[in-house]
Amino acid sequence: MNMKVLVVSRSGREIIKGGVELKETAIVSDLNRAIHHRMRKYYPSRQRLTLPLQPGSQGKPVVLDPRKKVREYFRGNEEKLTVVLKDLGAQVSYKTLFFWEYLGPLIIYPIFYYYPAIYEYIGYTGERIIHPAQTYAMYYWCFHYFKRIMETFFIHRFSHATSPLSNVFRNCAYYWSFGAYIAYFVNHPLYTPVSDLQMKVGFGFGLLCQVANFYCHILLRNLRGPSGEGGYQIPQGFLFNLVTCANYTTEIYQWLGFNIATQTVAGYVFLVVAASIMTNWALAKHRRLKKIFDGKEGKPKYPRRWMILPPFL
Amino acid sequence: MAFTYIPTSQNPRVSGETVDLATMASFLSTVRRVYLTIYNWMVFVGWFQVLYLALRTLYETDYTHVYHAVEKPLQLAQTAAVLEILHGLVGLVRSPVTATLPQIGSRLYVTWGILWSFPETRTHVLVSSLVISWSITEIIRYSFFGLKEALGFAPSWLLWLRYSTFFIFYPTGITSEVGLIYIALPYIKASDKYCIRMPNKWNYAFDYFYAAIVALGIYFPGGLHMYLYMIGQRKKALSKSGKKD
Repeated sequence: MNMKVLVVSRSGREIIKGGVELKETAIVSDLNRAIHHRMRKYYPSRQRLTLPLQPGSQGKPVVLDPRKKVREYFRGNEEKLTVVLKDLGAQVSYKTLFFWEYLGPLIIYPIFYYYPAIYEYIGYTGERIIHPAQTYAMYYWCFHYFKRIMETFFIHRFSHATSPLSNVFRNCAYYWSFGAYIAYFVNHPLYTPVSDLQMKVGFGFGLLCQVANFYCHILLRNLRGPSGEGGYQIPQGFLFNLVTCANYTTEIYQWLGFNIATQTVAGYVFLVVAASIMTNWALAKHRRLKKIFDGKEGKPKYPRRWMILPPFL
Repeated sequence: MAFTYIPTSQNPRVSGETVDLATMASFLSTVRRVYLTIYNWMVFVGWFQVLYLALRTLYETDYTHVYHAVEKPLQLAQTAAVLEILHGLVGLVRSPVTATLPQIGSRLYVTWGILWSFPETRTHVLVSSLVISWSITEIIRYSFFGLKEALGFAPSWLLWLRYSTFFIFYPTGITSEVGLIYIALPYIKASDKYCIRMPNKWNYAFDYFYAAIVALGIYFPGGLHMYLYMIGQRKKALSKSGKKD
């Protein structure tokens, strides 16, 4: 037996003439594939399928879950189902996105360290003395972004496989610009290092947080299956027992360590901006988890925890 | 000793009236309206002065004297606009901070960061076009809001003016701003004003000259964005009033 599914745009216009036909047992990702088969432009990760909103009703439309059976979305004994297709625009995989974002800082920073000609070109002539702090900073920075790239390919498990292409430009602009901005000042011929003790404390603390951050990522990874199944889970263990987004917390503190050691306004500006971005994410994630894990219908209740930065949030 | 409960309204120790929440809310709302009415009309008067003095100076002498004539009311009226950011943040008005911030930012930059800081720019003809573009726009805007707060509505011709005159005055204003920054560049480079040099404890440097170049760069996408935003606002505002009739 076959089912018929009509595919319309958000304005009601039929996107696929006559709709698509699916087997009774089809799941939503089969529907994605069928749509892609009829319209090559709409590869599955570019599709966002929702049920049409009832006229006059408020609230968000129901997004179709790729793993659910299509039949489950049929209302009553209706003959056919109408789904609304939104084009999410060109997509790239998260791995691709993260790789390009992180590659920039990894390459740009050492350029300022190894090619002081840049500063000569701007007008700073004379002999250049390299302070140990500058060398350690370069290793620390590069290790950090190398770690991020490795985690992207080997540790992280993404629930949504893709991100819009426009994010590549936006995110790369952010990471690459800040990378250059910080690198310029730390590797500057007129750089003034802090005391030896402060530098060691800063880098030591930062490294500790990077290790903690790595462990957080391992814990998060184990919440999900290999292809991102599992959806939302309550994070457990280590710092997650105290803080919902312990991974962001350790990341922020790691940058704080770097700044304590290198002491540049540029670095601190980056810290503030990065922290506020991550705080926004953390607030949203915490709220989402609380909403899902409300203690009803057998679901566990989300425990009382800090969101991201104890003792403030 | 036994304590008995006496409701507040009957308690002889509580003097005067009790104020319930609804009365409080409407009192605060009136205070808000009075404050905003006074604010808008005061700034309106400031900008009206600017326009009047500018035109009078142009008529009596020439464009080189315009800045000197309008300086004080211009600085006062333009800087008062900082309050508007506060109003948006506190929720006194509905305008999103993201729309007002770039506009106020650029105005304050040109008023204080260019004209006041580099007197060599003051005698340029672009000062006149700048000041006239700004003042006409603001006169319309502040009277519009002044009437809305005071009377609850503004006449449709004023609404039309508010959402139509920008077609002329955005381009003229932006061109004047960009032009004046460009003219100031050699003076900025020659002076060391507002520059932070290395080495210093915080390993920071700021070069006002390069910052001005970056500012010039932002004007093009920024100005375009504001212009398109106003066109969108115009559609919304004028169609809404059309439907009401």
